[in-house]
Amino acid sequence: MAFMQSTTRAPGLGRQIVPIGIVCLIVFLMPLVLDNDFLLAKLARYLVLGMLAMSLSLSWGFAGILNLGQAMSFGLGSYALAMALKLKTVPVHTGAEGLPDFMVWNNVTRLPWFWVPFEWMGVALLAGVLVPAALAAGLGWFMFRGRVTGVYVAIITLATMVVVNLLIIDQQACTGGFNGITDLAQLQLFGITFDAYGRSTYYLVAVCLTASLLLALAFTRTKAGLVIQAVRDHEARVRYFGYDVAAYKIVAFALSAAIAGLAGMLYTIIMEFASPTFLGVPLSLSVVVWCAVGGRQSLVGAFLGAVLVAGMQGVLSESATFLETWTLVMGVLFVLVVLFLPKGLAGLAEAIGARLDWRRRSQARPGATLASREPTEAGL
Amino acid sequence: MDQFIQQIITGLSIGSILLLVALGLSIIYGSMGIINLAHGEFVMLGAYAAWMFQQRFGLGLIESLAPIFLVVAVFGFVIERGVLSFLNNRPLDTILATWGIGVILQQAVRLTAGGELRYVQMPESLSGSAEIFGTSVSLYRVFLLVAALALFGLTWLLIQRTATGMKLRAIIQDRAMASAFGVNARRVHGLTFAYGAGLAGLAGALVSPLKSVSPEMGTGYVVDAFMVVVLGGVQSLVGTVFSAFILGELSSVIAFLQNDTVAKTLVLVAIVVLIRFRPEGLFTTRLRT
Repeated sequence: MAFMQSTTRAPGLGRQIVPIGIVCLIVFLMPLVLDNDFLLAKLARYLVLGMLAMSLSLSWGFAGILNLGQAMSFGLGSYALAMALKLKTVPVHTGAEGLPDFMVWNNVTRLPWFWVPFEWMGVALLAGVLVPAALAAGLGWFMFRGRVTGVYVAIITLATMVVVNLLIIDQQACTGGFNGITDLAQLQLFGITFDAYGRSTYYLVAVCLTASLLLALAFTRTKAGLVIQAVRDHEARVRYFGYDVAAYKIVAFALSAAIAGLAGMLYTIIMEFASPTFLGVPLSLSVVVWCAVGGRQSLVGAFLGAVLVAGMQGVLSESATFLETWTLVMGVLFVLVVLFLPKGLAGLAEAIGARLDWRRRSQARPGATLASREPTEAGL
Repeated sequence: MDQFIQQIITGLSIGSILLLVALGLSIIYGSMGIINLAHGEFVMLGAYAAWMFQQRFGLGLIESLAPIFLVVAVFGFVIERGVLSFLNNRPLDTILATWGIGVILQQAVRLTAGGELRYVQMPESLSGSAEIFGTSVSLYRVFLLVAALALFGLTWLLIQRTATGMKLRAIIQDRAMASAFGVNARRVHGLTFAYGAGLAGLAGALVSPLKSVSPEMGTGYVVDAFMVVVLGGVQSLVGTVFSAFILGELSSVIAFLQNDTVAKTLVLVAIVVLIRFRPEGLFTTRLRT
């Protein structure tokens, strides 16, 4: 009966759009409840990390591509906006002739060629999304055309991110090296200034989050999205049907990178700097963890997993009792989730929901119970 | 020229450390399909064990190698039994689980032994240096090379010449069939993981006199060791040896000609390209299946 188990059944649209709607509504209503700009900025930070985890669930949960280098797209998005904002800073922070301060310290006399396009904010905003997407498409082409799968994808993505990270740190004169790009101007769009601790920034995050959740949901509902899920469950069979498996994988991989890039840009606005740690191994692995805890096959699940775990990390690491032990707590929690909740918290919620549903139906129509049971999905 | 020879010898020493760390990783991945992200933490545990034996019991490094192997192997056995044996046929989940275990081990050591750097004494008999090709080489580095090769030989013998080794090879070829013939796969997997962990512990103990010992020291090794395993081919122990020394020499020589970043970048890019075109590694022949 193995073929029965690997059948992909796309859950009804309503079952996904309702939680997304509720979550987004809560996000938009938060400023009314939380009358504290500092806490709001902190929440915005977690929301952005949630967006990053959601982007990974698109490639990992839906397309079966475990990208251990998801933070690369995030970091590139972050750097794209930071470069543009750096060029907008007042002369105090830019040094002679409009050059960023760290370039002046490193005796750079002319703006490097790849900085020039970032004089225009529109170009920078586009680059923050398109550069990660193009890079992912190229890497995806390289991997999936050669039918690289599973663990090897994980290693290649990780190695690629480490290379980019090394290059950024090494090119001190052009990228700020270890320090990253600091002392940024505030983003101004359509006459609105996005201050890290302002309501406008929070709402910007909320709008981008809602838009990307809906975009991702829409993608999973298109034919391409359905093919992608079939590829995840049984790649060879989809290939025999004549689908260009690699092309579908590349699209999902690139879309996931684009959303991660957008999240990275928002992160720069909130943190007011860009740093090589934004595309480092620890963050990248954390994203995987958040995604796994929340449920990688659910967009909302991955998002909530990140907000929950990152928020808990924030709270625990600040409380005196858990200052020493919070990493230990997180590690134990994580191993338990992998062991007992392979589909994360979203899987748990779904199982509880299915159980209630089943009980209700079996009371209404005894005898029809077996047919209404959900087919179990094969794990990855 | 003198400096160049020095660089070649440094490469050998980097290679032997890589081999020590990668050997355990290779056995665990090759036989169980587990990407063990906690491997670096086993290395770290070995280094801490060396420090503990030296401080508490006044044992020298050489005398404490056997107990260090045992201690870390027991850790490995418990982890395999307690967590990983429940994750059969879920290779990607083992990445997650072992990463979580790594976090736990790191923090546990930080809480019990303190987060500050520790230092392990080098055995006095090995602290001198020798003349090789007109360059002076630290005796300890020669000892590292010999130890790495000896451990490799021992591992090879265990796999090729013992009953458990034969069962292990049978499981690698066809787990279901081996089980049908009465091989206790659970037991063999437990022993394999314990042995791999023990080897990592020995690696940690052996490098501890060269580096400062800290809870984070393991993380850097895993990625490098993984590259060795992939380059050599997961089914080939001999490949692991060659790739360890090739990578060691490459990093050392490129770092000498250019700089560390260029060396690391080139090695990583080469490995990415290699995985794409020869996922079975450099040193295994393609099998028809």
